[in-house]
Amino acid sequence: MSLILKNISLPLAPFTLEVDVEIHGRVTVIFGPSGSGKTSLLEVVAGLRAARTAFIQLDDWVLTDVARGVFVPIRQRGVGYVPQDLALFPHLSVRQNLLYGRKSGRDKERVFPFERIVEILEIQPLLQRGVTQLSGGEKQRVALARALLAAPRLLLLDEPLASLDLKLKMRILPYLARVRDEFRIPMLYVTHDRLETLALADRMVVLVNGKIEQTGPVQEVFSRPASLAVADMLAVETILEGRIVKMDGELVTVAAGPTALVSAAQNLPANTREVYACIRAEDVMVLKGGDVPGSARNHLAAVVKSVAREGALMRVELDCGFALAALLTKQACEELALQPGARVVALVKAPHIHLIPR
Amino acid sequence: MTAAEWQIARFTVEMAVLSTALILPFGVALAWCLARLRWRGKALVETFVAFPLVLPPVVTGLILLKLLGRRGPIGHWLYSEFHFDIVFTWRAVALALAVMSFPLLVWTARSAIEEVNPALEQIARTLGAGEWRVFFTITLPLAKRGILAGTVLAFARALGEFGATIMVAGNIPGLTTTLSTGIYQLVQAGEDNQAWTLAGVSLALAFAAVWINVRLMRRSKR
Repeated sequence: MSLILKNISLPLAPFTLEVDVEIHGRVTVIFGPSGSGKTSLLEVVAGLRAARTAFIQLDDWVLTDVARGVFVPIRQRGVGYVPQDLALFPHLSVRQNLLYGRKSGRDKERVFPFERIVEILEIQPLLQRGVTQLSGGEKQRVALARALLAAPRLLLLDEPLASLDLKLKMRILPYLARVRDEFRIPMLYVTHDRLETLALADRMVVLVNGKIEQTGPVQEVFSRPASLAVADMLAVETILEGRIVKMDGELVTVAAGPTALVSAAQNLPANTREVYACIRAEDVMVLKGGDVPGSARNHLAAVVKSVAREGALMRVELDCGFALAALLTKQACEELALQPGARVVALVKAPHIHLIPR
Repeated sequence: MTAAEWQIARFTVEMAVLSTALILPFGVALAWCLARLRWRGKALVETFVAFPLVLPPVVTGLILLKLLGRRGPIGHWLYSEFHFDIVFTWRAVALALAVMSFPLLVWTARSAIEEVNPALEQIARTLGAGEWRVFFTITLPLAKRGILAGTVLAFARALGEFGATIMVAGNIPGLTTTLSTGIYQLVQAGEDNQAWTLAGVSLALAFAAVWINVRLMRRSKR
């Protein structure tokens, strides 16, 4: 799949949505804070909203070209859309909702069998019910199935899990992963949730105030945010203000308060001095105080401030001259006997300290 | 009730049913245009449609009379081309009732359609539905109760219409006399007892119409 979004411009209330991007791959997350224009972008792609200028091409098919007056009608685009409020038809049963857009005959190679979709999303017991009697998670699955049964070429999902609590979210995520793996429909997935992004997407587009801040593979964006705005939004746990004090080939030494950190810097502009040093909690290792440091250059004496559950992991707040967050497994926390006041050593490998010029 | 009274009651109901059936498709179509489309001259059409509500019914009747009479622009053409008379026939009754009840239908149907979430219609389109399918499978079913309530209102209005009817259709016993014009005539003639019989029929019909309407409105709110 390739989706070309060229020269898209749409005035929104406080800013103008301006997008120029080529999207490849199975699941691409459009990541951004609320009000950054993510939903509007999906609506433009689906044809639900007219942009001032736009060129949209899905594979070899031009869907919209404002300059040349091309605008494929919504119903012919083959773009499935699951809006945030799901928009299930309240006067129809679950079965009738599912069958509303069902394709048959024409486009046969893209048609998914009804039974298979019902099975994968575990909708069978709901079929006869009215949609108003469904729970949030059930509605979510029905809306997804309804879009899939119309055999779209591209599926647009607008914060599909935003209204669900964490527990339910963890239960619905595997369904989405199954849909991704079984039906191989390319998806544009709007969210501002790190968990969903990491679980589902292979690439991501970061949208802030209507402009693209960064695009790339998910892992790369998470470990090398292009700007402070992106790092902030991805909730990189530790962001320190620092000054470069030494550059030794690949290795850059940064003074952050009283501490010196060594980073394997990535293509910093030549005369960068002031930087933000970003450290993700997953990349922080914790050792018992007095342990011999390994190959990691940054070993920092630290005091445990707090230990709290975060999903399947434990989040440990450390004080090592600055506040540093670490994510550890529960076993690790028990083995290290981590509790507030414990003295430990925090380790961060040089490649895991990412520098952003400020 | 005498045969003549039955005739008047039946004729009035028939004319009300006919006029309501006549305006239903146009009224719903116009209501949809007003609710869902933006177009030039929309405000003008809105004003025009509302006119019979605010104009004295006799004035509406007078305008119709002048337009449709054999010397009027429309009536003249119809008569010379098809030898077709409207004024002072049952057709004039149906037409007067239609014109007078049209705004009630359009207004109620319009707000019923406006209450349908446009996002549902959009989603139907992304699922491959064309405009007709969207209207008949999404908009209409979801606005059904409101449109039905508007239809009942229009019907009730038609049952009681007086001013426009008497101007354009007159009051010809057995031909154009309705419950309202019939009652008026009876009272004028001092036949109060007969007038009360017809008034009783009106009361029963009005009660039924309003009662149905209230039931519909209550269900549509749920």
